Amino acid sequence: MLAVVAAQAFFVVRGYWSAHKEFAYQMFPESSTWRAEIARVTDDGQRIPITEPWAGYRWGELVDSRGLSSPGVRRHADAGLDNQLAFLDAALDWVAVNTPLDTETRYLEAVVTTWHNTDDPEVVVLRSVDRSTAE
Amino acid sequence: MIAAFDEVLGRQVSMRAMALLRVLAGPIVLLHLRPFLLDALNGKTYRDTFYEPYASWYPELPTPLYIAVLCVGALAAVAMTVGWHTRAATTTVFAVVTYNLFLSTTHVHNNRVYLIVVLAALAVAPSGRELSLDAWRRARAGLPPLPTTAPAWPLWLLRFEASVVYGASGLSKLLDSDWFGGTVTWHRVVRTREQLEASVLPDWVITVLADRSFHTLAAKVIIATELFIALGLWWRRSRYAAVWIAVCFHVAIEVSARVEVFSYLAVAALVIWAVPSTRDRVLVIDYSVSRHRTLATATRWLDWLARFRIVAGPPGSPIQVVHRDGSVNDGPAAVRFVLSRLPLTAWFALPTLLLPAPKHAAVEPPGSTSRMTRVG
Repeated sequence: MLAVVAAQAFFVVRGYWSAHKEFAYQMFPESSTWRAEIARVTDDGQRIPITEPWAGYRWGELVDSRGLSSPGVRRHADAGLDNQLAFLDAALDWVAVNTPLDTETRYLEAVVTTWHNTDDPEVVVLRSVDRSTAE
Repeated sequence: MIAAFDEVLGRQVSMRAMALLRVLAGPIVLLHLRPFLLDALNGKTYRDTFYEPYASWYPELPTPLYIAVLCVGALAAVAMTVGWHTRAATTTVFAVVTYNLFLSTTHVHNNRVYLIVVLAALAVAPSGRELSLDAWRRARAGLPPLPTTAPAWPLWLLRFEASVVYGASGLSKLLDSDWFGGTVTWHRVVRTREQLEASVLPDWVITVLADRSFHTLAAKVIIATELFIALGLWWRRSRYAAVWIAVCFHVAIEVSARVEVFSYLAVAALVIWAVPSTRDRVLVIDYSVSRHRTLATATRWLDWLARFRIVAGPPGSPIQVVHRDGSVNDGPAAVRFVLSRLPLTAWFALPTLLLPAPKHAAVEPPGSTSRMTRVG
């Protein structure tokens, strides 16, 4: 019983610094919003927006959860910005390593504009793993 | 100190509330598993789109086996609700829901985490000894019923967790200056103003909701509500107010946000705050009066937490409730009290307890058979 209570207390405290806040029960933490321009960067340096299908893939079909299916539209970060950026970062990696028919992309890059509550916007750049070394 | 703690946790208490929560949890689990099962029926699982395992060693099943596990979880949820091989069914539901949740960080939401906490408590508590097919089959086979009391620790543990859900949420808002000052709620309303204007809400409501100064106060009310529920549930004097407010709170969340099964689960889990003893109040009924019989029937059907023992009073006697301490309510006050203790009617009846309801000492001790006949 004490172990469960201690573990629960740990998770509640951990929620204040962790991107994923399991067992921390921080409901509706922010009104923050975000938007991302995501592009595939090819071996020859071209930047091709993921709004265009590639090698039979569509972003919205590959990534359809946690509000990531239409990253170009400004959306609410419903579990907080840290959480949203962590998911987006992981999604870039997942797409990079799970699109075997794509032979031209070297990595994916997201230029993310975030608005923490009513604060001024900030820009963060996220990059996936390099597909040439990810195998 | 430690001995007192052990005594409280080890004390034998009624598991009736856990049994009722078990019954209610099954449909909630089905609702939770529904999107996963619908995707599976369409040939899609979590692995077909972005997901993020918590650990590389976490076992992932071949797709057909994964779908079979989800189906087993759904069937076990039905078995859990009806109480068929209850312990095994509840443990299976907990295992399936937990396994599925931790397959990916994308699966984890607060409401789902709370669901596995509730299922864990149900799995370790003997929640199948009443309100179950197991109990019915045992009676049918002529076997004596298993005790419906058990050590209190699973109930206390679940109460702690239920309280943490509200407390942690309220605390995180209290410590966030944007939340406390009303910026977060106001900004959310402003960002969704178009949707509000397209809704059925009258213009003046939308104007109030979009007013910044309204949120300066509203945010504090929200935080105070969450903290009051978290703390108020622990004390008998504030418990019913906390339960009543909690129901309002969850209804408001359900209509204003998408929270999956959270509202249903949180409202269902409120039953664990009932005093864990059963049939310790007496409802005295004059069976020659139609209104009395109606109340007795309603009580027999709706007293899911087994609060009342119904006895036949002498002809011409009013409806009476004999409380644990031997004091008595009669007439309308007794009816209001009974309705306030039935889960389905409690929310409506609890405010009526604020009306004057004089109590007087019992003429006869509860359960006396000299002029009262025990019938239920």
